[in-house]
Amino acid sequence: MIVTRSWLSEFIDLSSVSNEKLYETFNSIGLEVDSLIQVEIPKKVVIGKVISCEKHPDADKLNVCQIDVGSGTRQIVCGAANVVDAEYVAVATIGAELPGDFVIKHAKLRGVESEGMVCSSSEIGLPEMGKGIMILDESIGELEVGRELSSYEKVADTIIELELTANRGDCLSIYGVARDLSSALDIDMKPFEYKQEDKIKLGIAREAELRHTGEMDADLHYKLATVENISDSFLVQLRLAMVNVEAQGKLASLLAYVTHTTGVILRAYDSRAFRNSENKICVLPAAKAKGIMEVIGNQKVLSVVGVNQEEDAMATDETNELLIEASYINPDILSEAVATTSLKTDDLYYKTSRGANPDLNFGLSFLASMMDSYTDISCYEGSLNVSVEREHETVIVDAKEISSIIGMDVEIGKIVTILQKLGFEINTMGHDVIAAVVPLFRHDIKHIQDISEEIVRIIGINNIEAKPFVFAEKPRLNDTTARYQAKKEFKNRAVGVSFYENVSYVFSERALLEKYGFSTVEESLELANPIAEELNTLRSTILVNLLNAVKRNVSYSKKSIPLFEIGSVFGSKREQSEVISFVFSGQVEGENVRNAGKPQMIDFASFTQKVGAVVGAFELVPCTYENGLIHPYQSANIIVDGKVCGFLSKLHPTVQESFDIPETFIAELDFDALLPQHVNATPISKFQGVYKDLSVVIDKSLNYFEVAKVLNGLDLPILKDIYPVDIYEDEKLGDKKSLTVRFFIQSMEKTLEDSDIEAVMGEIMTALESECKAELR
Amino acid sequence: MENLEEKIVQADSLETLEKVRVELFGKKGVLAAQFAKMKDVPGPEKKAFAEGLNKQKTALQESFDARYEVLKSEEIEKVLKSEAIDVSLYGTLAQKGALHPVMETMDKIIDYFVALNFAVESGPMVEDDFHNFEALNLPKYHPARDMQDTFYFKDGGLLRTHTSPVQIRTMMQTKPPIRMIAPGSVFRRDYDLTHTPMFHQVEGLVVDDKDKVSFANLKSILIDFLHYMFGDVDVRFRPSFFPFTEPSAEVDISCIFCEGEGCRVCSHTGWLEVLGCGIVDPNVFKAVGYEDVSGYAFGLGVERFAMLMHKIPDLRSLFEGDIRLLEQFR
Repeated sequence: MIVTRSWLSEFIDLSSVSNEKLYETFNSIGLEVDSLIQVEIPKKVVIGKVISCEKHPDADKLNVCQIDVGSGTRQIVCGAANVVDAEYVAVATIGAELPGDFVIKHAKLRGVESEGMVCSSSEIGLPEMGKGIMILDESIGELEVGRELSSYEKVADTIIELELTANRGDCLSIYGVARDLSSALDIDMKPFEYKQEDKIKLGIAREAELRHTGEMDADLHYKLATVENISDSFLVQLRLAMVNVEAQGKLASLLAYVTHTTGVILRAYDSRAFRNSENKICVLPAAKAKGIMEVIGNQKVLSVVGVNQEEDAMATDETNELLIEASYINPDILSEAVATTSLKTDDLYYKTSRGANPDLNFGLSFLASMMDSYTDISCYEGSLNVSVEREHETVIVDAKEISSIIGMDVEIGKIVTILQKLGFEINTMGHDVIAAVVPLFRHDIKHIQDISEEIVRIIGINNIEAKPFVFAEKPRLNDTTARYQAKKEFKNRAVGVSFYENVSYVFSERALLEKYGFSTVEESLELANPIAEELNTLRSTILVNLLNAVKRNVSYSKKSIPLFEIGSVFGSKREQSEVISFVFSGQVEGENVRNAGKPQMIDFASFTQKVGAVVGAFELVPCTYENGLIHPYQSANIIVDGKVCGFLSKLHPTVQESFDIPETFIAELDFDALLPQHVNATPISKFQGVYKDLSVVIDKSLNYFEVAKVLNGLDLPILKDIYPVDIYEDEKLGDKKSLTVRFFIQSMEKTLEDSDIEAVMGEIMTALESECKAELR
Repeated sequence: MENLEEKIVQADSLETLEKVRVELFGKKGVLAAQFAKMKDVPGPEKKAFAEGLNKQKTALQESFDARYEVLKSEEIEKVLKSEAIDVSLYGTLAQKGALHPVMETMDKIIDYFVALNFAVESGPMVEDDFHNFEALNLPKYHPARDMQDTFYFKDGGLLRTHTSPVQIRTMMQTKPPIRMIAPGSVFRRDYDLTHTPMFHQVEGLVVDDKDKVSFANLKSILIDFLHYMFGDVDVRFRPSFFPFTEPSAEVDISCIFCEGEGCRVCSHTGWLEVLGCGIVDPNVFKAVGYEDVSGYAFGLGVERFAMLMHKIPDLRSLFEGDIRLLEQFR
């Protein structure tokens, strides 16, 4: 919503209010100022009166004008075609400095002397106002030849753009904004008084009739008028340009101007559209559905109240007989009705859906007052009306309640003053209690807290003293808080082993997920309005996003790319779960003196070590996950506390190639499975333990985890720890390999004798021989 | 004997000194030989002889010890010297990743509220109309829904457009008093220089008995919070409109780039908008079946905080895993 200072001044006296104060007030009452621009008209641009205007002898498109600029008559050559119609114009006299460092000097145009320039709006810093020069009239004030244009406050105006919140339809007009200011600044509104003189002493009913069908949700007022010659004023054009409202033609400009001023929705029809076979104007509004009020003439729908108007029925500057309609419909009813139909809405819908001004007489009178001044128009007496009985909301306002919501004492008298200025009707109910009748244009106000909001914004939030809240103690460390803290712990560990935290969208590309064999959301549960092809579904893995990030980093010349992300993924039924995913691409570490500038590439062992440093102890067994990213021979299930909770793999070489990235390892784990478990300590032995190695020859195809399974199955309490330390293959061994396992043996009760140790090792060897066909090396 | 003394002083290594030690103090050493002469010394002179000898021995021992100390420290110094390296070569070996600035900022925000005994709550990203809109006083066709361009699913589900549905879920699962924050990802169907389809919010909610929670309380905590986050800034409240709060306000801080002078970042206003807040609308309490309560709520965008605090120029770069950006936060 754009307003101007002089326009507001038609309804409220702002002479004692500076622009700074205005800016501050708007912001503090919730009408946020987007911009405040003071129009600066250059000095030496004055009102000139065109005395004569002749064609330039040597140039078709130029006119030679004699113009009175107060200090004398000047000859000025002008290129604008419309100068021939002009009486009063803005003249930049010699020495005037126009925007863009353009200084007016004596000039000779095609041999003709020119002392000045006749100006268009944009040449002197006003908004663009159509082709040609400005043709001034008395709408900006009395025109005194020679007077500087900058002294006209309606021209050198202040343009203020306000950002309105969705509930403030009442401020979509100059009048509405002035009303809010009136309350905030405690300045009374100027009364608008206009006694319309209906020039045609015939009642409207002689020519027109209005019959509605169905239950009406809209108020409608119609006036009938004949027009000889319609014209608007310079001020109307200037102000519409300042507030960025476009209108085609003079009539449309006038209507747009009045709507912008009063907030009342106006439409003009060519009355012929309503004339029936008996040549009578017959307006038939019909309720088609709740909130959809059609205006019918001659069996045709000519407009829908608050929504649109048929172009054929619109009055133009050439129309001789106008039917002017002012309308109001409750915005809540309207917007719901429109949302459920496919009606096309026009520019006015923005206002009607947010709440236009229901004071239709005000709008019509204002229009009449405008037309009186500039247009040869005659109205029929009276108007045809449809009015809906509406119950006004009444809110019981207790000063104590308001004070407790705000946290500051506000007296009832203050509340009454504020509300009255905002257009509320007040009835006293008792000590400190009033009934506030909500005006129709504030359809957003329904209860005491809405009233508090009005009080808060008018007294100013910054005038409320901050008070700390005294709260009953209660422990609030819930599971979510604990989970959040655990997550933070994991993140810090990942950072400690060189991973960077990645954040990516929870979206992914469906085709890509399908290509790599990841699950996708069921078709019937899929996103209906994705924003882009590559973000058209919910991700079921973070790895694809991470690989995309790797690819980008490769293009940024990064050689070692360790990334992780903890985030949500979604199953085929859209069930949400959290995973932690890792990717490590390229060099295992930076180039440095230790590795002589040639660091190793990331390998299975280094990657596993890093992932382990983050998630804690785990076991690896051959991978049972299936997706296109996994390397079939360098991949593993990750087992934590006996449960498979994710996988770790070298990136499949074909995927690596298609992403065009160096050697890469990936892992993705179910985050819930990693949450820290409660630990009970086991007693520690006081006796010395021993390490024993055992090297056995086994089948090449036998994986360590199968050997481990056998060893872990042994019931040997003094066998405390088992882990592989070496694997050896050579030609001599053929399809066998040598595996060395280290054992730690320790008793809780005594220092072990050699015989105890030998007994254990014997049992181990026996088990391996029988279960794994192992031979001692 | 003087000769011996000379030998100790002239020993130039621990090995030579050891040889001297054996020659002097060993079983077959010079001193032992001298002491052996004792038995030949006549009785009355014995005492003087012994004293003289002991004196000599002590003197030699002292010289020896002194020399030993010198040579020993010379040798250690030699070893140390041989291990000398150019330590300045190794500074680049340190390998550390970094937390994401948005997540780190979120952590900082959460830490503040957890310290004030707020519970952290969470909820699903895929929401329904009731929790995301209806219960928050955003009935269908409300113009304010336009403000939040929504991702919908074919079955009518939607991606939450704010973290506010977590308020609703928490209120429906527990009873007042409530004191919670809800950090998390939210989604709007908007993608340009200053909008990403996903971003992060932190939502706060306090609910207690009727007449207990006021706007003044809300002001108090938010001013303190913004000082914690941004240091010594001015805080300004502007009335605004959110369907779920009434009265509502937007909160600005004085521009941290130009200190309120006016610059490009603050669009020459001197103020930066950072928060939305208000007193919970009675319709929200009605939707969750609460009676006779009062409360306040607030919400903020984490990316905005992170970008302001760390002067990060490009929003979209935050979602690209760009190590050139991330490594600055090591």
